[in-house]
Amino acid sequence: MMRYLSTTAIASTVLLALALPAFAQDGTATAAANIAAYSGIPAFVAAGDPFDAKACMADKSIFTIPASSAIPFIKTITDHKAEIAGALGFKHEVWENQGNPTQWIQGIEYAVNNKFNLVSLLAGADPRFFEPQVKAAQEAGLKVVVSHLTGLEQDAPAGVDAATAIDYRKAGELMADWTIAKTGGKVNALVVVSNEALSTDSIVSGLTEAFKTRCPDCVFEIVNVPITDWATKIQPTVAGALQSNPNLNYVIPIYDSMSTFVTPAIAIAAKGDAVKVVTFNGTPFVLDLIRDGSVEMDIGENLDWIAHAMLDAEMRLLCGLAPIRDSKVPLRVFSAANIGEAGSPADAAKGYGDAYVKGYQDLWKISQ
Amino acid sequence: MRLSDLAYQAERFGLVIVWIAVIAVFGALRPDTFLTWSNFSTIFGSEAVLVIVTLGLVIPLTAGDFDLSIAQTLTFTSMLTAIMSAKMGVALDVVIPVTLAAGALIGVINGTITLYFRVHSLIVTLGVGTFLHGVTLWISDSQTIGGVSPALMQYVIIQRFFGIPISFYYAIGLAALIWYGLAYTAFGQQLLFTGRGREVGRLTGVAVGRVRLISFVASGMMGAIAGLLYTGTTGSANPSSGTMLLLPAFAAAFLGATCIKPGRFNAWGSVVAVYFLVTGINGLSVLGFRTFVQDLFYGGALIVAVMVSQLISGRKERNL
Repeated sequence: MMRYLSTTAIASTVLLALALPAFAQDGTATAAANIAAYSGIPAFVAAGDPFDAKACMADKSIFTIPASSAIPFIKTITDHKAEIAGALGFKHEVWENQGNPTQWIQGIEYAVNNKFNLVSLLAGADPRFFEPQVKAAQEAGLKVVVSHLTGLEQDAPAGVDAATAIDYRKAGELMADWTIAKTGGKVNALVVVSNEALSTDSIVSGLTEAFKTRCPDCVFEIVNVPITDWATKIQPTVAGALQSNPNLNYVIPIYDSMSTFVTPAIAIAAKGDAVKVVTFNGTPFVLDLIRDGSVEMDIGENLDWIAHAMLDAEMRLLCGLAPIRDSKVPLRVFSAANIGEAGSPADAAKGYGDAYVKGYQDLWKISQ
Repeated sequence: MRLSDLAYQAERFGLVIVWIAVIAVFGALRPDTFLTWSNFSTIFGSEAVLVIVTLGLVIPLTAGDFDLSIAQTLTFTSMLTAIMSAKMGVALDVVIPVTLAAGALIGVINGTITLYFRVHSLIVTLGVGTFLHGVTLWISDSQTIGGVSPALMQYVIIQRFFGIPISFYYAIGLAALIWYGLAYTAFGQQLLFTGRGREVGRLTGVAVGRVRLISFVASGMMGAIAGLLYTGTTGSANPSSGTMLLLPAFAAAFLGATCIKPGRFNAWGSVVAVYFLVTGINGLSVLGFRTFVQDLFYGGALIVAVMVSQLISGRKERNL
């Protein structure tokens, strides 16, 4: 019996040893294929059937409460939403705030008092912080939705009427895929996250899954830095990791505005050649960092496309159409190879083609 | 040496000794990574901005005033630098004096309102700082501005001496200047008299108002220098991130007042305090502790140091 067991063990080890390089190669090839698939200009995919947006929205209004007007990424989306609503001719207001939940509460109460039809909690204004006010607004007849907060697999939080999601899981996967493909499966990464953001769970699950399935030998450590501490804690945390882990070859700040504090830590440690940065969001100033070499890759979302997609979902809800969960906002991998397409300096809406503009015009039946 | 002298010396150098002990503990736990020159160059090179903000606070604190606007001055001047350099293409030899002048102007506004209207500096600088934050968000359209001239980064973090980014030496140079100014000049003595007792200062012939105004201007200019270095460190300007440095800078200023010249805000004490705190945080990061432990260390170190300092000095009543 013992002889049988040891023969089986030896045979298993030999098979595993033979299979592992092939498995690693497969993982690297899959990762590279994923990156290639998301490196080109994305195609427009409609989230639902066409509808006459101008006619249906003529007597309706939307009130947008962004997570913070002081965050460049979010400010750009709200500005674009306001422009599109203006072009469609319906009432749209933005509650400018600096990320304080009491300001969000004031905003939702303002929306109720001024009889808006829908409140859009945009990109991080988390309704779990003010559930009673959400309920009160719904009782007053308003629809309350979260836009660009949850991943596709996450349910609408705090009883809101709908959640229009982004494929955050895919963003997490692509960040892991990039590092796997670039290193041939020899990743040693520090992943910087902010757990209080709802999207973090989704991004981290995609990233973890990609490493688990395509590169089990890859090493990565996840550290949490709360959003309010980005300016004071990211730099020393990264600096400490650079010292304690000399084999580190990637830092993955999962939101690209974190990069401002990651790149100085790498520069001060003089490790710019050995340690690369990959991230997610496509904020213009970070795309510019790709051009100067401080950031290797940024997964971009077209902020104007997001504005179109969120308004599309919100208008559908007000027009009595089926709610939209998957916004169909695509992701694109930006690196030194294609950063020229994002403009110089980079523009939030460049590098994604313009098919979506015509696509939404057709969808909303406002084509010239 | 008498026992009281020994206690005084222990109080003067207590934080330095604790700093060395902290280095020894982390060094013993991770000798291969913590006790390396590259790690110390990271520790010294990464917090020059915080040192300068702390030094900026020391000047009005010595005169008995608070400058809560200094972090917003940093953020505003950082944004001004980025806009002039990246958006308007202005050369650095124009950007730097304009930025320093903006910092000085903010100091004049703080000082004038405080002195003319006789409002406490805490309230005035809180208001001016909040106003500046609004201006910063306005001029930047709430966007991070990148694309700053690479020459600025060259003169802040890329050039090095002994492997340490040059910004560290700027901070040490400014500390030496403030130390000399406070200890060996007539103005330094007037500043101290003003802080210790305004009426006494006035009766001994000190132009208290002028001294306080100059201290606000100096603080504003230090904020502007910190803003320039912040932009040079990150290569960009963010409309709100510099504001997070206010509380760490105050913590370092108060911690610094427990050493070198105990009971007085002083330049070298502030430098020691910043690097003591940074060493602790760096060591915890190297050991892989989670980030909330950094807050435990920051807050705990401040409270323990102040308590120990008071115990050594016989729990004398202190007016900081």
